[in-house]
Amino acid sequence: MTPQQHLLRGAIRTYQYTLRPIIGCNCRFLPHCSDFGLQAVAEHGALRGGWLTARRILRCNPWHPGGYDPVPPPSQNVTGTAHAPVPRPTKG
Amino acid sequence: MDQKRLLAAIALSVGILLLFDLWNRPAREAEQRRQAEISAQQAATAPAPGVPAPGVPAPGVPAPGVPVPAAPLATPGAPLATPGAAVAAAEAARAPETRLPIVNPRLQGSLSLRGARLDDLVLRGYRETVAPDSPLVRLLAPRSDANPYFAQWGWTAADGRTPVPGPETDWTAEGGTLSPTQPVTLRWDNGQGQEFRILLELDEDYMLTARQSVRNTAADAVQLLPWARVRRERTPQTAGFFILHEGFTGVLDGRLIEWKYSDAKTEAEKRRGPAMEQESTGGWIGFTDKYWLAALTPADQATQVRAAYRHSAEGGQDRWQLDLATPAAQSVAPGAEAGLATRLFAGAKEVHLLDSYESRLNIEGFDKAIDFGWFYWITKPFFYALDWLFGIFGNFGVAILIFTFALKLAFFPLANKAYISMARMKTLAPKMTEVRERYKDDPAKAQAEMMALYKAEKVNPASGCLPILLQIPIFFSLYKVLFVTIEMRHAPFFGWIQDLSAPDPTNLFNLFGILPYDPMQLSSFLHMPAWAIAMGITMFLQFKLNPTPPDPIQAKVFAWMPLIFTFMLASFPAGLVIYWTWNNLLSIAQQYWIMQMDKKRQASRPAAAPTPPKPLLAGKAEAKPAPKGRKG
Repeated sequence: MTPQQHLLRGAIRTYQYTLRPIIGCNCRFLPHCSDFGLQAVAEHGALRGGWLTARRILRCNPWHPGGYDPVPPPSQNVTGTAHAPVPRPTKG
Repeated sequence: MDQKRLLAAIALSVGILLLFDLWNRPAREAEQRRQAEISAQQAATAPAPGVPAPGVPAPGVPAPGVPVPAAPLATPGAPLATPGAAVAAAEAARAPETRLPIVNPRLQGSLSLRGARLDDLVLRGYRETVAPDSPLVRLLAPRSDANPYFAQWGWTAADGRTPVPGPETDWTAEGGTLSPTQPVTLRWDNGQGQEFRILLELDEDYMLTARQSVRNTAADAVQLLPWARVRRERTPQTAGFFILHEGFTGVLDGRLIEWKYSDAKTEAEKRRGPAMEQESTGGWIGFTDKYWLAALTPADQATQVRAAYRHSAEGGQDRWQLDLATPAAQSVAPGAEAGLATRLFAGAKEVHLLDSYESRLNIEGFDKAIDFGWFYWITKPFFYALDWLFGIFGNFGVAILIFTFALKLAFFPLANKAYISMARMKTLAPKMTEVRERYKDDPAKAQAEMMALYKAEKVNPASGCLPILLQIPIFFSLYKVLFVTIEMRHAPFFGWIQDLSAPDPTNLFNLFGILPYDPMQLSSFLHMPAWAIAMGITMFLQFKLNPTPPDPIQAKVFAWMPLIFTFMLASFPAGLVIYWTWNNLLSIAQQYWIMQMDKKRQASRPAAAPTPPKPLLAGKAEAKPAPKGRKG
């Protein structure tokens, strides 16, 4: 892994052990956003992994149904298919 | 089993900390004694206040190429100091320095006419402690004091031959006391055709304007570099807390430049020169303490200036200086006059006052002297809101409580949204138990199935990461405002809290004052005030209501968090602990209230009806039962 990946993963780990216990564990997804981030950064690199994680966090709000949303496999064209397994929330 | 081990580990850690503290004590006390001795010695030797501190040249080593003698005073003919012992001998014979009194509604002090040094200034509106008879806060102090801190105006002879006023120069003052209605001019003639003048003006608050000028009546042009400086000859006690900046600060060309004392020292040693030196159009530089500021800025913000932060070490003492000068020496032709006009702010960092100086005098970013931090655009409005509430209720503690309540109210729809779906989730209970039964041996699979179920039924008990993460900067900002603003200083609250910015004085370890001893004498860890305990209890209760992390180790950390925080916050300003306690209480109340509403809803409709509930109770909570109306 590159130093950037280590840095990002370290930051997420730090969050999990310090901030997360204070603010509570409120994720609507499985795996949780922080676990998703750890995996995404490891598999897709710092840049793309960070991007995937940012999008995931933006989706993690009360207007999204949440649910099972794994990290997309690295071989795919990620930006195009990242959300394919998860249907977009109904918008009305 | 694991719990026991963890408990043992924590007990062991606390034990080690206590032991280390005890073991360190003799060294710490010895250090304190040494410091006291040094200051006593210096107090003894200091009465020769003008002895030019060795190795401290006048400030402003200007643009390369402009020759600036390190000792601008050793010019023959000038009635100035000669280096070495002769000074001390001459010193004894000299008349004592005369002082120019300074007074306005908020400041009092005096300026030493020997060296044009403002080294005596107290703030009339602020006292050292909450006791009504405690001494006024002293901002500037002379070299004979334990913490010398002064402002000074002068010139450097860039041509190397013009006699300039130095630290031993006795200026003459025209006019009695410097006050808002009475400006004072200091004069000194070097006897070779140059007359130096400093016109001092004081406003009603904390701003002093110094207009330095020199008139050349000699036959030749002279090269002079006017400067103003603020010097601090002892490192002040800092809070050392990472969310508060103390040290050098300033805004030059619109950019905030902050240097901690320790970093400035490292940088100055590395560069073998000033820690920071920069030219700027206008701007300001200063020494910031938590609540006080001494800063320099050009009187006309269109002036091009050269600003610097400096460090030097003398006799093991760190000395700090910031100075403002013209970018290059001024050439004063025969018959001409040249100069530099600067302002010195010396006083308390009151937000409204700094704002008004910023707009009246056009000083860019002057309010950044208060460390509002990265979230300036949140923290500053928060401060205004708190200050407004303070104006209404007359108590800063009450203002904190009401403002926190208002914030919680603003975030209520988010929290509520999550709990609304809980209602529908109850209808899923049978299906959920079914899932749990089916995957009894595979918890991960069970959780995944559960998530699928949530999605299929469009319910989810958690509010999501985004709203929670959005709240972090908000609450951090509030916390920061409470920490940095002077309005919380010496502000009382109910009961035993006399000062919201100081730690709660009560202590569990002497049973809140029943036992006649101070456990803090044994170790600074033995401090457990009442409000911190209240904070710990509310935090524990709130955690009970929060979902726990899925990871077992994290869950354990989670369980110990209230205890860790209770100890961590014990020595924090009482205002922050009260705020945190109140915030926890509000979170608990909010959760409880939503749950009660939910129960009522459950009771008022058939148990298994999957349709959204009809709004029986009025209120936002049920105004929008379907999530479709809003978009994220």
